[in-house]
Amino acid sequence: MEFLGYERPDGSAGIRNYVAVISSGRCANEMAANIADAVPGAVPVIHSHVCVRLKDDNEKALRVLSGIGSSPNVAAAIVVGIGCENPSPATIGSEIAKSKKPVKVLTIMESDGFQSFIDEGLATTRSMVAEASKLQRKPFPLSFLTLGVKCGGSSAVSGIAGNAATGMVFDRLVAEGGTAIFSETSEVIGADHLIAKRAVNEEVARKFRDMVARQEAMITATGEDIRGTQPTRGNIAEGLVTLEEKSLGAMAKSGTSPLQGVLEYGEKPPGKGLYFMDGSAMTSELISSEAAAGAHIHIYNVGGGVSSSFRCAPGWMGDIPFIPQISVVSRRSKPHDSQETDFFDIFADTVIEGTESVNEVADRFFNEVIAVASGKLTKREMRKGYREPIVLYSTGPIL
Amino acid sequence: MKRAMRINSEDNTATALSDIEAGESISLVSKSGPVGEMTTKQAVPFGHKLAVTDIKKGDKIMKYGEVIGLATQPIGKGEYVHIHNVASALLPGAKEVK
Repeated sequence: MEFLGYERPDGSAGIRNYVAVISSGRCANEMAANIADAVPGAVPVIHSHVCVRLKDDNEKALRVLSGIGSSPNVAAAIVVGIGCENPSPATIGSEIAKSKKPVKVLTIMESDGFQSFIDEGLATTRSMVAEASKLQRKPFPLSFLTLGVKCGGSSAVSGIAGNAATGMVFDRLVAEGGTAIFSETSEVIGADHLIAKRAVNEEVARKFRDMVARQEAMITATGEDIRGTQPTRGNIAEGLVTLEEKSLGAMAKSGTSPLQGVLEYGEKPPGKGLYFMDGSAMTSELISSEAAAGAHIHIYNVGGGVSSSFRCAPGWMGDIPFIPQISVVSRRSKPHDSQETDFFDIFADTVIEGTESVNEVADRFFNEVIAVASGKLTKREMRKGYREPIVLYSTGPIL
Repeated sequence: MKRAMRINSEDNTATALSDIEAGESISLVSKSGPVGEMTTKQAVPFGHKLAVTDIKKGDKIMKYGEVIGLATQPIGKGEYVHIHNVASALLPGAKEVK
């Protein structure tokens, strides 16, 4: 099977064709937004990273910001900064340049002043957009595609509706030779032994167990025992009986393919197939890392209840305009909220209502993935307005 | 007819897709559609589970084709499966925490 994408110089294929104006640090966010907002076809990448962080968090930020710039959905990138950021604008730019796409680095420190900096930013953005606009879509096999996933507002039926259908979509993409990434390290505690047994070899299984143990040690160090507090009272009232059941419901979205490898936050998978990435259960943080790892599309599974009536997407679901987000809901509000139709792309509540099987939802869902990959806009892409900076995962203190 | 989902053929539990009363005839469905019928012995709320086979004390409780816990008492086919008769297989003490 094929989709229509944009050929990139590094041999990858994009499904969107934006010029990214990347802020190298929080201080430069406004400049990046002002430049990008003035040019149709350009999007700003603004975020929460600041220079008063330690080495490990600076490395994570470099991996994610350069990874986002290297995304196949980005035709060309401009990194803008003051010049004093860590990671430096030049380092972010040289990392992005490894993807062979056009990259330009502009800093206030190396400019003749603010106005000339903005002028040069606008001129560069316009010429990059003009160049990108000449590109036509062409057919690529599905093996070029990478999907990322996250679930939130889980309900008793997430595991047997939306997450089950997503798992089947993942399995189908992997069967086509594509790549799928799942994460949420804290959510696999309790099901880690079951995911580990899907690993392709003992080394991957060990790395996976080590990553989960590292996360659990970080949680325990705060004085909380996640195993003793899960499932929560609310989960039990919803029908979940054990931590294993809760974790398995969350992990249902990974499907049944063998686990090829384990990635650090924002790390690119070295091959095709199913990968686990270290990351938090905060959606706005996770979408950044999955985008940095090369995910073309982000799947967001909403369980139901309050979360299905909630429309504040940028803060909750993350905000990377060039990564289309397919929103899935497992249980609709009753009576049906008319705005739901404008918010969600895939309704998996039909499994609960009895009008469709999980297989049928997965068929429809997989076709939607191919359509979105070929250019169909998601509900999320058809809304504009309020914007949030991307949140970057950090584990160390702020100085 | 009300329905319950047995997500994997190895499961000895199914998840109620609506509130089910005791003594109701229900349809069991898999990922691909209906797979059979059975009668409940106890009421099972939406999203909660019932046993689809007789389960002995100490037996594995299966959902998603995986072990989600162990039976702490015998559970008859059609009976409600919840924290009163299941404990985590990983955490013997986890039940007391709630």
